[in-house]
Amino acid sequence: MASVSVSHLILFIASMMIAASVAGVFTSSIGQLSGAISEQGFDVSSDVRTDVEVISDSGSNAIYNSTTETITLYVKNTGTERLAADPGVLDILVDGQFVTDYTVTRAEGGGAWQPGTVVRLDIQQSLDGGDHRVQLTVNGDEEVFEFRT
Amino acid sequence: MGFSVSGSAALIFVAAFIGFGMFYSAAANSTEMVNDARETQSDRQLERTNTEIEITTVNYNTASDYLNVTVENTGATELSVSDVDVLADNSYQTGYRTAVDGDTETDLWLPRETLAINTTTTPQPSQVKIVTGPGVAATAEVV
Repeated sequence: MASVSVSHLILFIASMMIAASVAGVFTSSIGQLSGAISEQGFDVSSDVRTDVEVISDSGSNAIYNSTTETITLYVKNTGTERLAADPGVLDILVDGQFVTDYTVTRAEGGGAWQPGTVVRLDIQQSLDGGDHRVQLTVNGDEEVFEFRT
Repeated sequence: MGFSVSGSAALIFVAAFIGFGMFYSAAANSTEMVNDARETQSDRQLERTNTEIEITTVNYNTASDYLNVTVENTGATELSVSDVDVLADNSYQTGYRTAVDGDTETDLWLPRETLAINTTTTPQPSQVKIVTGPGVAATAEVV
């Protein structure tokens, strides 16, 4: 009779261990999933809050400087998201080609690229005469600026 | 045998309860953040649609190198003077003087009011662009 109780005890301990390990895996997976959902929500909200506008005057002849081979653009933060005024936040395509040689500076003062403020982009790119387009991507917000040299 | 089944079922149930709690709070927070951002975006969109400006005069004084621009707020949105940007021949202007209907201290530029901008720039620019906070802009030729 004692052997029945012992085997019941062994089965009880085994089932509790299995249940505990299943519960542990379950809660840790849900924890990871919740973390990912929180981060995604944060990313999506910051994408929605981000809005930039190229405010350079496309009718001006001073967009491209042929001597220094530099395109100068002014980009205004018209959204509500505070952005970093550094090249890491921007992706730039000039005539469909990805550009890495550019500098980002605050047009007025320093610090972060706060809503309502402007940054100056100096893109080093040699261009021929004709129509050109620059595409900027900031947090999923795409802006296209077209000009003539 | 019966007790081990109910014991493990209780353990799994407690884990499911905790898991649902974590998942629900994360999902609710995310949805709330995204909804807030969407609301702000539609507010911004409405503000932009209601914004309109018109450059009334542009004068350049060759003797003093002064560029005077007057812009009227023809929209229905109250704008901020500090968010206004001035570009003369794609050159960003800083340190310019502003006055809204003669008031040099105010930061509010209300509908039907005229903003006067006075900046020193040389040589004479050929065109000027005024950009408001919401991104609505106007350009004019310098005469």
